[in-house]
Amino acid sequence: MIRRPRDLNHVISVVMLLALLAVGIPWLWHKYQSRPPWWDPVQHQIIHVGLKETLRMAAISGIGAAVIGLTLGTLFTIRFRPTRILIRAYIELWRGLPIVVTIFLIYFAFPRLDETIPYVPNISSLAAFQAATVGLILWGSAQVAEATRGAVQSIRKEQHEAAAALGFGWVGRHVYVILPQAARRLLPPMVGLLVNIIQNTTIAGLIGTGDVLEVANRSSERLLFLTGSSHALALILYVMAIFFVISFPLTRLAAYLEKRLT
Amino acid sequence: MSLLASFDWATIWDNRRLLSDGVWRTIQVSAIGIVGATVIGIALGAVRANRIPVLTQLAAAYVEVIRNTPILAQIYLIFYGLPLLSQHLAFTGFTTAWLAVTIWGGAFNTENFRAGFEAVPFRFREAGLALGFSRLATFFRVTLPLGGRIALPSTTNTYVSVMKNTSLMTAIGFQELTGTSRSISASNFRDVEMLTTVGVTYLVLAWSISGGMRLLERRLSFEDAR
Repeated sequence: MIRRPRDLNHVISVVMLLALLAVGIPWLWHKYQSRPPWWDPVQHQIIHVGLKETLRMAAISGIGAAVIGLTLGTLFTIRFRPTRILIRAYIELWRGLPIVVTIFLIYFAFPRLDETIPYVPNISSLAAFQAATVGLILWGSAQVAEATRGAVQSIRKEQHEAAAALGFGWVGRHVYVILPQAARRLLPPMVGLLVNIIQNTTIAGLIGTGDVLEVANRSSERLLFLTGSSHALALILYVMAIFFVISFPLTRLAAYLEKRLT
Repeated sequence: MSLLASFDWATIWDNRRLLSDGVWRTIQVSAIGIVGATVIGIALGAVRANRIPVLTQLAAAYVEVIRNTPILAQIYLIFYGLPLLSQHLAFTGFTTAWLAVTIWGGAFNTENFRAGFEAVPFRFREAGLALGFSRLATFFRVTLPLGGRIALPSTTNTYVSVMKNTSLMTAIGFQELTGTSRSISASNFRDVEMLTTVGVTYLVLAWSISGGMRLLERRLSFEDAR
Protein backbone atom coordinates (compact mmCIF):
# COMPACT_ATOMS: atom_id res chain seq x y z
CA MET A 1 0.00 0.00 0.00
CA ILE A 2 2.77 2.42 -0.66
CA ARG A 3 1.38 5.61 -2.06
CA ARG A 4 2.25 6.25 -5.64
CA PRO A 5 3.44 9.76 -6.34
CA ARG A 6 0.52 12.04 -7.15
CA ASP A 7 2.23 13.49 -10.22
CA LEU A 8 1.98 10.29 -12.25
CA ASN A 9 -1.75 10.14 -11.63
CA HIS A 10 -2.17 13.77 -12.59
CA VAL A 11 -0.46 13.08 -15.89
CA ILE A 12 -2.63 10.02 -16.48
CA SER A 13 -5.77 12.03 -15.63
CA VAL A 14 -4.87 14.75 -18.10
CA VAL A 15 -3.99 12.22 -20.82
CA MET A 16 -7.24 10.31 -20.31
CA LEU A 17 -9.29 13.52 -20.33
CA LEU A 18 -7.58 14.74 -23.52
CA ALA A 19 -8.13 11.35 -25.17
CA LEU A 20 -11.80 11.47 -24.22
CA LEU A 21 -12.16 14.97 -25.63
CA ALA A 22 -10.21 14.07 -28.78
CA VAL A 23 -12.60 11.20 -29.48
CA GLY A 24 -15.74 12.73 -28.03
CA ILE A 25 -15.81 16.18 -29.58
CA PRO A 26 -15.41 15.08 -33.24
CA TRP A 27 -17.95 12.31 -32.65
CA LEU A 28 -20.46 14.70 -31.10
CA TRP A 29 -19.81 17.24 -33.88
CA HIS A 30 -20.41 14.57 -36.51
CA LYS A 31 -23.59 13.46 -34.71
CA TYR A 32 -24.79 17.07 -34.52
CA GLN A 33 -24.05 17.73 -38.20
CA SER A 34 -25.99 14.66 -39.29
CA ARG A 35 -28.84 15.15 -36.84
CA PRO A 36 -32.30 14.06 -38.00
CA PRO A 37 -34.94 16.75 -38.65
CA TRP A 38 -36.84 16.00 -35.44
CA TRP A 39 -33.87 16.88 -33.22
CA ASP A 40 -34.11 20.69 -33.35
CA PRO A 41 -37.73 21.04 -32.19
CA VAL A 42 -37.23 18.38 -29.51
CA GLN A 43 -34.09 20.08 -28.24
CA HIS A 44 -35.89 23.42 -28.21
CA GLN A 45 -38.70 21.87 -26.16
CA ILE A 46 -36.30 20.25 -23.68
CA ILE A 47 -34.29 23.43 -23.10
CA HIS A 48 -36.92 26.14 -23.32
CA VAL A 49 -39.81 24.31 -21.65
CA GLY A 50 -38.30 21.51 -19.58
CA LEU A 51 -35.12 23.08 -18.27
CA LYS A 52 -36.94 26.33 -17.47
CA GLU A 53 -39.50 24.43 -15.39
CA THR A 54 -36.78 22.42 -13.64
CA LEU A 55 -34.74 25.49 -12.74
CA ARG A 56 -37.83 27.42 -11.61
CA MET A 57 -38.86 24.57 -9.33
CA ALA A 58 -35.30 24.13 -8.03
CA ALA A 59 -34.99 27.86 -7.28
CA ILE A 60 -38.29 28.11 -5.40
CA SER A 61 -37.65 24.86 -3.52
CA GLY A 62 -34.09 25.86 -2.68
CA ILE A 63 -35.07 29.24 -1.25
CA GLY A 64 -38.06 27.81 0.62
CA ALA A 65 -35.99 24.96 2.06
CA ALA A 66 -33.22 27.33 3.14
CA VAL A 67 -35.56 29.81 4.87
CA ILE A 68 -37.68 27.20 6.67
CA GLY A 69 -34.71 24.96 7.45
CA LEU A 70 -32.57 27.77 8.92
CA THR A 71 -35.47 28.94 11.08
CA LEU A 72 -36.36 25.48 12.37
CA GLY A 73 -32.73 24.50 12.90
CA THR A 74 -32.06 27.65 14.94
CA LEU A 75 -35.29 27.30 16.93
CA PHE A 76 -34.29 23.73 17.77
CA THR A 77 -31.37 25.03 19.85
CA ILE A 78 -33.79 26.70 22.31
CA ARG A 79 -34.09 24.53 25.39
CA PHE A 80 -37.86 24.21 25.33
CA ARG A 81 -39.15 20.68 25.13
CA PRO A 82 -42.36 21.03 23.05
CA THR A 83 -40.67 22.92 20.18
CA ARG A 84 -37.75 20.50 20.24
CA ILE A 85 -40.03 17.48 20.00
CA LEU A 86 -42.05 19.05 17.18
CA ILE A 87 -38.98 20.05 15.16
CA ARG A 88 -37.31 16.69 15.73
CA ALA A 89 -40.50 14.96 14.49
CA TYR A 90 -40.57 17.25 11.43
CA ILE A 91 -36.95 16.46 10.61
CA GLU A 92 -37.28 12.70 11.12
CA LEU A 93 -40.53 12.49 9.16
CA TRP A 94 -39.54 14.41 6.03
CA ARG A 95 -35.99 13.06 5.93
CA GLY A 96 -37.22 9.51 6.45
CA LEU A 97 -39.86 9.43 3.72
CA PRO A 98 -38.80 8.89 0.12
CA ILE A 99 -39.44 12.12 -1.82
CA VAL A 100 -41.79 10.29 -4.19
CA VAL A 101 -44.01 9.34 -1.26
CA THR A 102 -43.96 12.91 0.11
CA ILE A 103 -44.94 14.32 -3.27
CA PHE A 104 -47.64 11.65 -3.74
CA LEU A 105 -48.99 12.41 -0.26
CA ILE A 106 -49.36 16.08 -1.10
CA TYR A 107 -50.67 15.56 -4.61
CA PHE A 108 -52.98 12.56 -4.13
CA ALA A 109 -53.76 12.24 -0.42
CA PHE A 110 -53.88 15.87 0.75
CA PRO A 111 -56.87 16.88 -1.44
CA ARG A 112 -58.74 13.80 -0.19
CA LEU A 113 -58.16 14.50 3.49
CA ASP A 114 -61.68 15.91 3.91
CA GLU A 115 -63.10 12.51 2.96
CA THR A 116 -61.06 10.80 5.63
CA ILE A 117 -60.93 13.19 8.53
CA PRO A 118 -64.16 14.98 9.45
CA TYR A 119 -64.23 18.79 9.87
CA VAL A 120 -61.33 19.29 7.46
CA PRO A 121 -62.52 21.73 4.80
CA ASN A 122 -62.46 20.57 1.22
CA ILE A 123 -59.13 21.52 -0.30
CA SER A 124 -59.15 21.88 -4.01
CA SER A 125 -56.36 19.83 -5.50
CA LEU A 126 -53.00 21.49 -5.94
CA ALA A 127 -51.40 21.88 -9.32
CA ALA A 128 -48.65 19.36 -9.95
CA PHE A 129 -45.98 22.06 -9.93
CA GLN A 130 -47.09 23.41 -6.55
CA ALA A 131 -47.45 19.96 -5.00
CA ALA A 132 -43.99 18.93 -6.15
CA THR A 133 -42.46 22.20 -4.92
CA VAL A 134 -44.07 21.80 -1.50
CA GLY A 135 -42.78 18.22 -1.34
CA LEU A 136 -39.25 19.29 -2.19
CA ILE A 137 -39.42 22.13 0.36
CA LEU A 138 -40.53 19.74 3.11
CA TRP A 139 -37.67 17.34 2.36
CA GLY A 140 -35.07 20.07 1.77
CA SER A 141 -36.00 22.11 4.84
CA ALA A 142 -35.65 18.99 7.01
CA GLN A 143 -32.14 18.50 5.63
CA VAL A 144 -31.24 22.17 6.17
CA ALA A 145 -32.71 22.14 9.69
CA GLU A 146 -30.57 19.15 10.65
CA ALA A 147 -27.41 20.80 9.26
CA THR A 148 -28.25 24.15 10.88
CA ARG A 149 -28.83 22.54 14.27
CA GLY A 150 -25.33 21.07 14.18
CA ALA A 151 -23.74 24.28 12.94
CA VAL A 152 -25.47 26.54 15.48
CA GLN A 153 -24.66 24.17 18.36
CA SER A 154 -21.02 24.22 17.32
CA ILE A 155 -20.79 27.97 18.08
CA ARG A 156 -19.37 28.44 21.54
CA LYS A 157 -21.38 29.72 24.47
CA GLU A 158 -19.13 32.76 24.89
CA GLN A 159 -20.36 34.12 21.55
CA HIS A 160 -23.94 34.04 22.84
CA GLU A 161 -22.92 35.70 26.08
CA ALA A 162 -20.85 38.39 24.38
CA ALA A 163 -23.70 39.20 22.01
CA ALA A 164 -26.16 39.31 24.89
CA ALA A 165 -23.81 41.62 26.80
CA LEU A 166 -23.82 43.97 23.82
CA GLY A 167 -27.57 44.22 24.17
CA PHE A 168 -28.72 41.95 21.34
CA GLY A 169 -32.03 40.18 21.84
CA TRP A 170 -32.50 36.52 20.92
CA VAL A 171 -33.34 37.26 17.28
CA GLY A 172 -30.62 39.88 16.81
CA ARG A 173 -28.06 37.68 18.50
CA HIS A 174 -28.76 34.83 16.12
CA VAL A 175 -29.15 36.88 12.93
CA TYR A 176 -26.10 39.11 13.46
CA VAL A 177 -23.72 36.99 15.51
CA ILE A 178 -24.41 33.27 15.59
CA LEU A 179 -25.70 32.45 12.11
CA PRO A 180 -22.95 34.36 10.24
CA GLN A 181 -20.41 32.22 12.11
CA ALA A 182 -22.42 29.05 11.59
CA ALA A 183 -22.54 29.86 7.86
CA ARG A 184 -18.94 28.74 7.48
CA ARG A 185 -19.91 25.22 8.44
CA LEU A 186 -23.26 25.42 6.73
CA LEU A 187 -22.27 26.57 3.26
CA PRO A 188 -20.71 23.34 1.89
CA PRO A 189 -23.69 21.09 2.79
CA MET A 190 -26.07 23.78 1.49
CA VAL A 191 -24.41 23.76 -1.94
CA GLY A 192 -24.56 19.95 -1.89
CA LEU A 193 -28.24 20.14 -1.03
CA LEU A 194 -28.88 22.51 -3.93
CA VAL A 195 -27.41 19.90 -6.27
CA ASN A 196 -29.70 17.29 -4.75
CA ILE A 197 -32.74 19.56 -5.10
CA ILE A 198 -31.95 20.21 -8.77
CA GLN A 199 -31.69 16.48 -9.42
CA ASN A 200 -34.73 15.57 -7.37
CA THR A 201 -36.97 17.91 -9.37
CA THR A 202 -37.04 15.05 -11.89
CA ILE A 203 -39.14 13.07 -9.40
CA ALA A 204 -41.88 15.66 -9.89
CA GLY A 205 -42.27 14.28 -13.41
CA LEU A 206 -44.04 11.28 -11.84
CA ILE A 207 -47.05 13.48 -11.06
CA GLY A 208 -46.87 15.10 -14.47
CA THR A 209 -44.91 18.33 -14.20
CA GLY A 210 -43.06 19.23 -17.38
CA ASP A 211 -39.50 19.07 -16.10
CA VAL A 212 -36.50 18.31 -18.33
CA LEU A 213 -36.60 14.54 -17.94
CA GLU A 214 -40.37 14.32 -18.34
CA VAL A 215 -40.29 16.52 -21.47
CA ALA A 216 -37.58 14.30 -22.93
CA ASN A 217 -39.62 11.21 -22.07
CA ARG A 218 -42.76 12.58 -23.68
CA SER A 219 -40.75 13.54 -26.75
CA SER A 220 -39.31 10.05 -27.03
CA GLU A 221 -42.79 8.53 -26.72
CA ARG A 222 -44.12 10.86 -29.39
CA LEU A 223 -41.18 10.01 -31.65
CA LEU A 224 -41.79 6.31 -31.14
CA PHE A 225 -45.38 6.90 -32.22
CA LEU A 226 -44.50 9.08 -35.21
CA THR A 227 -41.32 7.53 -36.56
CA GLY A 228 -41.73 3.98 -35.28
CA SER A 229 -38.29 3.84 -33.71
CA SER A 230 -37.28 4.75 -30.19
CA HIS A 231 -34.76 7.50 -29.56
CA ALA A 232 -34.88 7.13 -25.78
CA LEU A 233 -31.16 6.45 -25.43
CA ALA A 234 -30.02 9.68 -27.10
CA LEU A 235 -32.61 11.81 -25.33
CA ILE A 236 -31.94 10.41 -21.84
CA LEU A 237 -28.17 10.80 -22.34
CA TYR A 238 -28.79 14.38 -23.47
CA VAL A 239 -30.79 15.10 -20.32
CA MET A 240 -28.11 13.46 -18.16
CA ALA A 241 -25.49 15.65 -19.86
CA ILE A 242 -27.55 18.77 -19.04
CA PHE A 243 -27.73 17.78 -15.38
CA PHE A 244 -24.04 16.94 -15.30
CA VAL A 245 -23.06 20.32 -16.73
CA ILE A 246 -25.14 22.07 -14.07
CA SER A 247 -24.27 19.84 -11.10
CA PHE A 248 -20.59 19.11 -11.59
CA PRO A 249 -19.34 22.69 -11.02
CA LEU A 250 -21.59 22.91 -7.96
CA THR A 251 -20.27 19.67 -6.41
CA ARG A 252 -16.72 20.89 -7.06
CA LEU A 253 -17.63 24.19 -5.41
CA ALA A 254 -19.03 22.32 -2.39
CA ALA A 255 -15.83 20.27 -2.09
CA TYR A 256 -13.71 23.44 -2.41
CA LEU A 257 -15.75 25.28 0.24
CA GLU A 258 -15.52 22.28 2.53
CA LYS A 259 -11.74 22.40 2.27
CA ARG A 260 -11.48 26.17 2.61
CA LEU A 261 -14.06 26.92 5.28
CA THR A 262 -13.84 24.00 7.68
CA MET B 1 -66.37 11.36 17.16
CA SER B 2 -62.82 10.37 16.82
CA LEU B 3 -60.55 12.34 14.56
CA LEU B 4 -59.89 9.47 12.19
CA ALA B 5 -63.52 8.42 12.04
CA SER B 6 -63.56 7.57 8.37
CA PHE B 7 -59.99 6.37 8.10
CA ASP B 8 -60.71 3.08 6.42
CA TRP B 9 -58.55 0.56 8.28
CA ALA B 10 -60.34 -2.26 6.48
CA THR B 11 -58.88 -1.15 3.13
CA ILE B 12 -55.40 -1.82 4.43
CA TRP B 13 -56.44 -5.19 5.83
CA ASP B 14 -58.26 -6.19 2.63
CA ASN B 15 -55.17 -5.48 0.56
CA ARG B 16 -52.69 -7.01 2.98
CA ARG B 17 -51.64 -9.61 0.41
CA LEU B 18 -50.77 -7.11 -2.30
CA LEU B 19 -49.13 -4.73 0.15
CA SER B 20 -46.96 -7.37 1.77
CA ASP B 21 -45.88 -8.57 -1.69
CA GLY B 22 -44.90 -4.99 -2.42
CA VAL B 23 -42.97 -4.66 0.84
CA TRP B 24 -41.23 -7.94 0.09
CA ARG B 25 -40.11 -6.71 -3.35
CA THR B 26 -38.88 -3.46 -1.81
CA ILE B 27 -36.89 -5.44 0.77
CA GLN B 28 -35.44 -7.79 -1.87
CA VAL B 29 -34.31 -4.95 -4.13
CA SER B 30 -32.93 -2.97 -1.17
CA ALA B 31 -31.03 -5.99 0.16
CA ILE B 32 -29.39 -6.72 -3.20
CA GLY B 33 -28.65 -3.03 -3.60
CA ILE B 34 -27.06 -2.75 -0.15
CA VAL B 35 -24.86 -5.82 -0.62
CA GLY B 36 -23.88 -4.80 -4.16
CA ALA B 37 -23.15 -1.23 -3.11
CA THR B 38 -20.91 -2.50 -0.32
CA VAL B 39 -18.91 -4.71 -2.69
CA ILE B 40 -18.51 -1.93 -5.29
CA GLY B 41 -17.76 0.59 -2.56
CA ILE B 42 -14.99 -1.45 -0.94
CA ALA B 43 -13.38 -2.42 -4.26
CA LEU B 44 -13.46 1.04 -5.86
CA GLY B 45 -12.81 2.77 -2.53
CA ALA B 46 -9.57 0.78 -2.29
CA VAL B 47 -8.70 1.69 -5.88
CA ARG B 48 -9.31 5.39 -5.15
CA ALA B 49 -7.48 5.40 -1.80
CA ASN B 50 -4.43 3.63 -3.26
CA ARG B 51 -4.49 5.76 -6.43
CA ILE B 52 -4.01 2.78 -8.72
CA PRO B 53 -3.28 4.38 -12.10
CA VAL B 54 -5.98 4.32 -14.82
CA LEU B 55 -8.42 2.44 -12.56
CA THR B 56 -8.61 5.35 -10.13
CA GLN B 57 -9.47 7.78 -12.96
CA LEU B 58 -12.17 5.43 -14.25
CA ALA B 59 -13.59 5.04 -10.73
CA ALA B 60 -13.60 8.83 -10.28
CA ALA B 61 -15.45 9.28 -13.58
CA TYR B 62 -18.04 6.67 -12.52
CA VAL B 63 -18.58 8.37 -9.17
CA GLU B 64 -18.93 11.85 -10.69
CA VAL B 65 -21.34 10.74 -13.41
CA ILE B 66 -23.59 8.94 -10.94
CA ARG B 67 -23.49 11.70 -8.33
CA ASN B 68 -24.18 14.50 -10.80
CA THR B 69 -27.09 13.00 -12.71
CA PRO B 70 -30.57 12.27 -11.34
CA ILE B 71 -31.16 8.63 -10.37
CA LEU B 72 -34.49 8.69 -12.18
CA ALA B 73 -32.62 9.43 -15.43
CA GLN B 74 -30.28 6.53 -14.66
CA ILE B 75 -33.26 4.23 -14.16
CA TYR B 76 -34.80 5.36 -17.47
CA LEU B 77 -31.44 4.90 -19.19
CA ILE B 78 -31.23 1.29 -18.02
CA PHE B 79 -34.87 0.48 -18.68
CA TYR B 80 -35.60 2.38 -21.91
CA GLY B 81 -32.14 3.21 -23.25
CA LEU B 82 -30.04 0.06 -22.97
CA PRO B 83 -32.42 -2.26 -24.90
CA LEU B 84 -31.78 -0.05 -27.95
CA LEU B 85 -28.11 -1.03 -27.83
CA SER B 86 -28.61 -4.77 -27.64
CA GLN B 87 -31.45 -7.19 -27.01
CA HIS B 88 -29.47 -8.79 -24.24
CA LEU B 89 -29.65 -5.54 -22.32
CA ALA B 90 -33.45 -5.58 -22.15
CA PHE B 91 -33.97 -6.06 -18.43
CA THR B 92 -37.10 -6.83 -16.43
CA GLY B 93 -38.37 -4.34 -13.87
CA PHE B 94 -36.82 -6.32 -11.04
CA THR B 95 -33.37 -6.51 -12.66
CA THR B 96 -33.49 -2.82 -13.57
CA ALA B 97 -34.48 -2.00 -10.01
CA TRP B 98 -31.61 -3.73 -8.23
CA LEU B 99 -29.13 -2.80 -10.94
CA ALA B 100 -30.00 0.89 -10.69
CA VAL B 101 -29.81 1.11 -6.90
CA THR B 102 -26.61 -0.98 -6.83
CA ILE B 103 -24.87 1.29 -9.34
CA TRP B 104 -26.14 4.38 -7.54
CA GLY B 105 -25.25 3.16 -4.05
CA GLY B 106 -21.88 1.86 -5.27
CA ALA B 107 -20.86 5.35 -6.39
CA PHE B 108 -21.74 6.94 -3.06
CA ASN B 109 -20.15 4.08 -1.13
CA THR B 110 -16.93 4.43 -3.13
CA GLU B 111 -16.57 7.92 -1.67
CA ASN B 112 -17.51 6.70 1.83
CA PHE B 113 -14.96 3.90 1.82
CA ARG B 114 -12.29 6.02 0.12
CA ALA B 115 -12.56 8.54 2.95
CA GLY B 116 -12.47 5.70 5.49
CA PHE B 117 -9.42 4.03 3.97
CA GLU B 118 -7.57 7.32 3.65
CA ALA B 119 -8.21 8.02 7.33
CA VAL B 120 -6.17 4.94 8.31
CA PRO B 121 -2.77 6.30 9.40
CA PHE B 122 -0.02 5.50 6.92
CA ARG B 123 2.22 4.07 9.65
CA PHE B 124 -0.33 1.29 10.30
CA ARG B 125 -0.03 0.09 6.72
CA GLU B 126 3.71 0.52 6.87
CA ALA B 127 3.75 -1.69 9.96
CA GLY B 128 1.73 -4.34 8.13
CA LEU B 129 4.19 -4.34 5.25
CA ALA B 130 7.13 -4.41 7.67
CA LEU B 131 5.64 -7.53 9.26
CA GLY B 132 5.87 -9.23 5.88
CA PHE B 133 2.23 -9.04 4.79
CA SER B 134 1.74 -8.67 1.08
CA ARG B 135 0.06 -5.46 -0.14
CA LEU B 136 -3.25 -7.31 -0.57
CA ALA B 137 -2.98 -8.93 2.86
CA THR B 138 -2.19 -5.55 4.40
CA PHE B 139 -5.34 -4.18 2.82
CA PHE B 140 -7.58 -6.99 4.08
CA ARG B 141 -6.00 -7.24 7.53
CA VAL B 142 -5.20 -3.61 8.32
CA THR B 143 -6.80 -1.02 6.05
CA LEU B 144 -10.20 -2.69 5.59
CA PRO B 145 -10.90 -3.49 9.27
CA LEU B 146 -9.83 -0.04 10.44
CA GLY B 147 -11.03 2.07 7.49
CA GLY B 148 -14.27 0.10 7.24
CA ARG B 149 -15.13 0.99 10.82
CA ILE B 150 -14.46 4.66 10.11
CA ALA B 151 -16.64 4.53 6.98
CA LEU B 152 -19.53 2.72 8.69
CA PRO B 153 -21.58 5.77 9.86
CA SER B 154 -21.51 7.41 6.43
CA THR B 155 -22.42 4.18 4.65
CA THR B 156 -25.53 4.00 6.83
CA ASN B 157 -26.89 7.11 5.12
CA THR B 158 -26.19 5.58 1.72
CA TYR B 159 -27.97 2.35 2.63
CA VAL B 160 -31.06 4.21 3.84
CA SER B 161 -31.03 6.22 0.60
CA VAL B 162 -30.69 3.02 -1.44
CA MET B 163 -33.82 1.69 0.27
CA LYS B 164 -35.69 4.97 -0.24
CA ASN B 165 -34.65 5.12 -3.90
CA THR B 166 -36.31 1.78 -4.63
CA SER B 167 -39.56 3.77 -4.45
CA LEU B 168 -38.59 5.42 -7.76
CA MET B 169 -39.10 2.10 -9.56
CA THR B 170 -42.78 3.08 -9.64
CA ALA B 171 -41.76 5.09 -12.70
CA ILE B 172 -40.97 1.94 -14.71
CA GLY B 173 -44.02 0.07 -13.46
CA PHE B 174 -42.17 -2.25 -11.09
CA GLN B 175 -44.64 -3.16 -8.35
CA GLU B 176 -42.65 -2.43 -5.24
CA LEU B 177 -44.31 -0.86 -2.21
CA THR B 178 -45.08 2.58 -3.67
CA GLY B 179 -46.16 1.21 -7.04
CA THR B 180 -48.40 -1.38 -5.40
CA SER B 181 -50.12 1.25 -3.29
CA ARG B 182 -50.74 3.42 -6.35
CA SER B 183 -52.28 0.47 -8.20
CA ILE B 184 -54.56 -0.26 -5.25
CA SER B 185 -55.71 3.33 -4.81
CA ALA B 186 -56.29 3.58 -8.55
CA SER B 187 -59.17 1.16 -8.07
CA ASN B 188 -60.56 2.16 -4.67
CA PHE B 189 -59.59 5.86 -4.37
CA ARG B 190 -58.27 5.29 -0.85
CA ASP B 191 -55.18 7.44 -1.41
CA VAL B 192 -54.94 8.66 2.17
CA GLU B 193 -54.98 5.19 3.72
CA MET B 194 -52.64 3.68 1.15
CA LEU B 195 -50.04 6.45 1.21
CA THR B 196 -50.11 6.62 5.01
CA THR B 197 -49.45 2.87 5.16
CA VAL B 198 -46.65 3.20 2.64
CA GLY B 199 -45.12 6.17 4.47
CA VAL B 200 -45.15 4.40 7.84
CA THR B 201 -43.61 1.29 6.25
CA TYR B 202 -40.76 3.31 4.73
CA LEU B 203 -40.08 5.02 8.05
CA VAL B 204 -39.97 1.63 9.79
CA LEU B 205 -37.63 0.25 7.13
CA ALA B 206 -35.36 3.31 7.31
CA TRP B 207 -35.20 3.12 11.10
CA SER B 208 -34.52 -0.63 10.93
CA ILE B 209 -31.56 -0.06 8.64
CA SER B 210 -30.05 2.76 10.68
CA GLY B 211 -30.78 0.88 13.93
CA GLY B 212 -29.16 -2.27 12.59
CA MET B 213 -26.14 -0.32 11.43
CA ARG B 214 -25.81 1.31 14.84
CA LEU B 215 -25.87 -2.13 16.46
CA LEU B 216 -23.20 -3.30 14.03
CA GLU B 217 -21.12 -0.22 14.79
CA ARG B 218 -21.32 -0.93 18.50
CA ARG B 219 -20.46 -4.60 18.04
CA LEU B 220 -17.46 -3.77 15.91
CA SER B 221 -16.16 -0.94 18.06
CA PHE B 222 -12.99 -1.68 19.98
CA GLU B 223 -13.19 -2.46 23.67
CA ASP B 224 -11.32 0.60 24.86
CA ALA B 225 -13.29 2.93 22.59
CA ARG B 226 -16.63 1.76 23.98
